[in-house]
Amino acid sequence: MEKAKISTKQLFALVVLFEMGSAILVGFPKNLKQDAWIANLLGMAEGILLFFVYYRLYLFYPNLPLTGYLQKIIGKWPGRILGFFYIVYFAYLSARVLRDFGELLSSTIYTRTPIFFLMTLLMLTIAYAIQKGFEVLARVSELFFVIVYIMAISGFILIISSGLIHLENLKPMVENGWKPIIKTSLKETLTFPFGEMVVFTMLLPYVHLSKKVKTVCISGMILSGINITIAAVINIATLGVDLFTRSSYPLLTTISKIQLLHFIERLEVLFMLYLMIGGFIKVALFYYVAVAGTASLFKFKDLRKINLPIGILILLTAMIIAPYYSEHIVEGLDIVPIYLHWPFQIILPCILLVIAFIRNHKKTAKEPAP
Amino acid sequence: MSIISKMLKKKQKQRKNDNYRQKLDPSDPGELLIHRAYQENLARIKEELGNSSDLVSKEIKIGNIHGAIVFIEGLTESKVISNFILESVMQTGEIPLGVDYYQYMLDKTVALGSTKTITNWNDLYDSLLNGDTIIFLEGYNKAISGGTAGGEKRAVSEPSQQLSIRGPRDSFTEMLRTNTALIRRRIKSPNLWTESMKIGTVTQTDIAIMYIKGIADDKIIQEVKKRLNRINMDTVLDSGYIEQLIEEQTYTSFPTTYHSERPDVVSSQLLEGRIAIVADGSPFVLTVPAIFIQFFQAPDDYYSRFDLSSALRLLRIIAFFIALVGPSLYIAGTTFHQEMIPTTLAIAIAAQRENVPFPAFFEAMIMEVTFEILREAGLRLPKSVGQAVSIVGALVIGQAAVQAGIVSPVMVIVVSITAIANFSTPVYAMAVSARLLRFVLMVLASFVGFFGIMVGLMIMVIHLCSLRSFGVPYMEPLAPFSRKNLQDVFIRYPLWAMKNRPMHISEGNMVRTGEHQKPGPPTQSNKDTSQSKKGNQQ
Repeated sequence: MEKAKISTKQLFALVVLFEMGSAILVGFPKNLKQDAWIANLLGMAEGILLFFVYYRLYLFYPNLPLTGYLQKIIGKWPGRILGFFYIVYFAYLSARVLRDFGELLSSTIYTRTPIFFLMTLLMLTIAYAIQKGFEVLARVSELFFVIVYIMAISGFILIISSGLIHLENLKPMVENGWKPIIKTSLKETLTFPFGEMVVFTMLLPYVHLSKKVKTVCISGMILSGINITIAAVINIATLGVDLFTRSSYPLLTTISKIQLLHFIERLEVLFMLYLMIGGFIKVALFYYVAVAGTASLFKFKDLRKINLPIGILILLTAMIIAPYYSEHIVEGLDIVPIYLHWPFQIILPCILLVIAFIRNHKKTAKEPAP
Repeated sequence: MSIISKMLKKKQKQRKNDNYRQKLDPSDPGELLIHRAYQENLARIKEELGNSSDLVSKEIKIGNIHGAIVFIEGLTESKVISNFILESVMQTGEIPLGVDYYQYMLDKTVALGSTKTITNWNDLYDSLLNGDTIIFLEGYNKAISGGTAGGEKRAVSEPSQQLSIRGPRDSFTEMLRTNTALIRRRIKSPNLWTESMKIGTVTQTDIAIMYIKGIADDKIIQEVKKRLNRINMDTVLDSGYIEQLIEEQTYTSFPTTYHSERPDVVSSQLLEGRIAIVADGSPFVLTVPAIFIQFFQAPDDYYSRFDLSSALRLLRIIAFFIALVGPSLYIAGTTFHQEMIPTTLAIAIAAQRENVPFPAFFEAMIMEVTFEILREAGLRLPKSVGQAVSIVGALVIGQAAVQAGIVSPVMVIVVSITAIANFSTPVYAMAVSARLLRFVLMVLASFVGFFGIMVGLMIMVIHLCSLRSFGVPYMEPLAPFSRKNLQDVFIRYPLWAMKNRPMHISEGNMVRTGEHQKPGPPTQSNKDTSQSKKGNQQ
């Protein structure tokens, strides 16, 4: 593990930016039509419950990352193997998010630039940040947090003042009953983005004030959840159900509708700025965790030596993950949540928690507290 | 990078060896002692200084013993020598017997404020080359060194780089003592401490470290001393040499030490807990640690009222940004994102660019490089030819270039705005970094337009966040964020509201402004005023 300490403010900025990252672009369950935002809100609530699992694990081993305490909980070798799978999982997610952003850029603005080139540039930026260490990443996120918030608020004001919001688009609420909403929230909005908090099991040991971790993480999740919900509501209200379900990037479509005073228009630039920042933090955290996990598992003292190889691996994975965008999205919606997110985010941590609980219970039973 | 640093280390080692050879060999202590016979000493000085023509030696007779005085012409105040040494020596009559001649000489004859006794040659050369006068006496293996340093020096004049509308008009000179005095005149506190050392194995440059005890952080003081002591180099001709050797990171285009030619600026830095490094021969005083936002704080900001100064500071930051991205935005806009420019403007630009044979990137590059050449030439040319440059400059960047069909009028405007914006950064070192990075961003913009600019800026931000200056994060107080230190960042708070010193730099004694300092209309009760007085005294 790297010798880094981050403050609670930095943790908060990281959580918020990470959660909002790509979810605010593609994280709306479109099959629910006008009720998509409810699923987002539900996903947040479920995500917070899930976070308590990670938090309990963290409380058992406050100085160890996930790859470290896996070996303590289920034994050295099984723990290492499972840790390796986690690393692959993180690296794969990093590649997925990278691909998301690459596709977005190449399908909207850079239609003639090869996607590989775009992703390489983004990846170089992130690799540079990771080379500088986690503390730098945390500091950068703090700056970006402010920028994102200024942009979000100004965007919000612009959308409202250009009179685009038609709240009647949200009606009728819960048209088909609660069942599909709950089902979708468990399948999609819980695992993406709130279940991805599993990344922080690797990062929480860096936090300076461990007492505040719970409040900071949960408030960060709530804030980002509310933001995503607001984004969903605005998208539906502005675009209407039909356009909302058909557009691949609803937020981009919404923003391009802003027109004010015949002068403030074409604000895709703002959107791209957000895209870069959100994408940066999200890919960077997955990527960093993969690097840090590898380092702790294979006992590398210097993270920086394995940074570039893993970065290239992620970049290549992002390239070969899917031949074209629609397959990438179908994979992301149908396969990844069930076969990857659920086991790695929910089932395994729960099992781990149970084992850890029993183990620690035994220990305390054997050695009663003085 | 590691190969380069290894090579550098090797070179440094070699140089270290060379340097020691030049110094007097301290292994033989007999060599270093001053001889009893003054003529031997004179001969030795002449030999070791290569019989230099500016060395003046004069044999004298004081009463009944012989001696000699030696000084270097030009470094000394000749009036002082003739009035207080030569004259009094001539007037000295017979020295009574049984008196220690040396002591008599020291007490009675040499009428100088500062005298000291020298016993070895290293000290002798130190004082001689600093402008002191050395007096040898026959039969004594020690010499008197009289403080006669002086000679030609530049008077304190107005600052030439860091100008301000309001505020004091003096600036540092090349003399170390003048500079330290200018600072001390502003901070009349016994807690202002000055420590000296010599750096430069050949140049033997005097360096003074100044700080306010109790406000500056002890750890940083130690670190500064450690880094200064580590310097092993033959030359220190300007504080710029020191700056480059004590920086945390060389591979960066951002300055991590602050320098100023204004005593008021340095004093305010000292009062914030920073440490000043004054080098003899340099009118620029370094202060450390430096943070990013500091380079946008102009002296005026504190002398004029807060609303105006805050607005101007924001303007300066925006100008820095324009200087950074101006041309690259033009390139990105015209080659990649035409749809983002308002339609009428886009058509106008397209019409203008119709006759331009180059792609936007080359167009911008030609103009920017031309401007940089003009700027550099204007700086180097003798003043008498300066006029010519401005005339030619107006031709090259102007209507003629447009009419020749090399560039479009919009490009001329972009270059001009960028240039003007670049000059609004108060500290040259920071302006230069924008000037350099601008070209990197232009290249990136020519590849992938706006996305490239964003990538460039993000790498820049990451880099800025990774920098430290003497352990203090460079982007303080923005990242790591601290609300209490925001008093002097984008908005300069009113003076009465700037209650604390910046916490990341200073240590202890944090309170700057007493309570109840907010001015207002006269109040009826006397309670308020008495309270505020109390606050002041604390």
